[in-house]
Amino acid sequence: MTELIRVANVSKQFGGIRALNDVSLNVRKGEILGLIGPNGAGKTTLFNILTGFYTPTSGELWLNDVSMLGLQPHQVLQHGIARTFQNIRLFANMSALENVMVGRHSRTRTGVIGAILRHRRSREEEAAIRARAHELLHLVGISRHSNTLAKNLSYGDQRRLEIARALASDPQVLALDEPAAGMNPAERDTLKQLIRDLRDKLGLTLLVIEHDVKWMMSLCDRIAVLDFGEKIAEDTPDQIRIHPRVISAYLGDGA
Amino acid sequence: MSARKSAWLTFVALAIGLALLPLLVEAGLGRSWVRIMDLALLYVMLAVGLNIVVGYAGLLDLGYIAFYAVGAYCYALLASPQFGLHLPFWLLLPMGAGLAGIFGLLLGAPTLRLRGDYLAIVTLGFGEIIRIFLNNLNAPFNLTNGPQGVNLIDPIRIAGFSLGKTQHILGVTFSSPQLYYYLFLVLTLAAIFVALRLQDSRIGRAWAAIREDELAAQASGINLRNTKLLAFAMGATFGGLAGGLFAGFQGFISPESFNLMESVMILCMIVLGGMGNIPGVVLGAVMLTVLPEALRYVGDLQRNLIGHVVIDPDDLRMLMFGFALILMMLFRPAGLLPSRQRKNELQHD
Repeated sequence: MTELIRVANVSKQFGGIRALNDVSLNVRKGEILGLIGPNGAGKTTLFNILTGFYTPTSGELWLNDVSMLGLQPHQVLQHGIARTFQNIRLFANMSALENVMVGRHSRTRTGVIGAILRHRRSREEEAAIRARAHELLHLVGISRHSNTLAKNLSYGDQRRLEIARALASDPQVLALDEPAAGMNPAERDTLKQLIRDLRDKLGLTLLVIEHDVKWMMSLCDRIAVLDFGEKIAEDTPDQIRIHPRVISAYLGDGA
Repeated sequence: MSARKSAWLTFVALAIGLALLPLLVEAGLGRSWVRIMDLALLYVMLAVGLNIVVGYAGLLDLGYIAFYAVGAYCYALLASPQFGLHLPFWLLLPMGAGLAGIFGLLLGAPTLRLRGDYLAIVTLGFGEIIRIFLNNLNAPFNLTNGPQGVNLIDPIRIAGFSLGKTQHILGVTFSSPQLYYYLFLVLTLAAIFVALRLQDSRIGRAWAAIREDELAAQASGINLRNTKLLAFAMGATFGGLAGGLFAGFQGFISPESFNLMESVMILCMIVLGGMGNIPGVVLGAVMLTVLPEALRYVGDLQRNLIGHVVIDPDDLRMLMFGFALILMMLFRPAGLLPSRQRKNELQHD
């Protein structure tokens, strides 16, 4: 398998706290890679570094052998890494459809002149944005809520909307930060199916952070485990299950 | 078909109404009220411009009047005896608007990381800096003529046809304020058109996204820096255009016309009318221009009713004005004609 993302010896320091310590990780094209670990292990920090929200203190980042170091979040998105947030961040007072239309920003061009004149190219682009947004709402299964304000959607639907907005940028990699948080078992199952579909039908590569280890074991092709800012394991779910350092990280050294 | 027909009828009725308004007002209320209408149109233009920054992009700007000043001084200095230059208005208006746009970028660039109250303080300082500069740039080299201001500014002349004096067209006599009214009306409608188009576009959505959540906007591929700067520059351009018109209309400007109170007033117009919603912003601007003038009659009323002056008429006027503002915000907290977003925020949050 070809390596899509290479994280090489990345460290991140916040004042005196080392959130990530010399983490290296490879993400293969077309896989679903899980990221687990106890609270404060540095999972979200790694996501923030991958998506340009943080700059690592040291280390390197590559996407398709292009360095991602020092890029702004919108530039990272342009290169093809989209994300969702742990605590859902939608445009609360915009409709579901508008949220997804905003997500299309990086792949469209209309500027001030086009917006004012509405010449043919800008009208066509606007229609295409709208059509694509409808498609994506349908894909994640909330098309009946397209005119509902984002904040009036149910929790599970908000998570789906965030995924649709991220998909609107035509990403290669989709990074989901705790997508199943707050969902009931039935919703978790449909979400799992959705994530698999994204990989199988759209050919996406997925990075998933989640606390539900059992759910992750059945979803992911491979799982990386972080503990106190260090990567302690990276393997298939079956191997992770019996990995001694993983067991001690989750259950304590006495186990 | 019939919906379309009625829309057309409304449009035609509105157009005729707006065209006849200055004639009726001058006949009924006098020329000074036509001047007030002219100023109201300028304030509509300013409010629509500030609404791009505050209403669309959510960037609180308390120094907006500075862009009005830049546009006004650009016109005044290049079309008055100050330097003996008399450039035509069709050159000066775009110049003033463009220059104000550049000042918008100058204000925007250092404030990119600021939000809310912090941004408000910096913009407030910026507005005051511009005013103080205009006040003091009469030495060592007399650029602005200082606190005395610039006088004898050329009226707007369209192909030799001056808007500054009474004209007879097809047997109808038009006073200067009436002529300015028609010019301002056309340009204000153009400004409203531009603002509406921008709102409902990729750019407008990006501004709304920034207002809602900056982090999510970035994660959605929006370049925070450029999009914010664009909002500042667009808003400032409207201000600069209105400023140039003001200078030509007024014939005299001084730094005093561009104080903090003016910035606050324009902000009041959009908050009161309905932030983010163009019809609301227009209504707010018209009301806040007309209301203080209309309240002048309260002074006369007081004298007629009581027979002598109890409260100074001017104090009474501003007292009533303040009271009216408080009442409006109490009963319509989201503005007179709130935008959908605004209404929702206040209902649920």
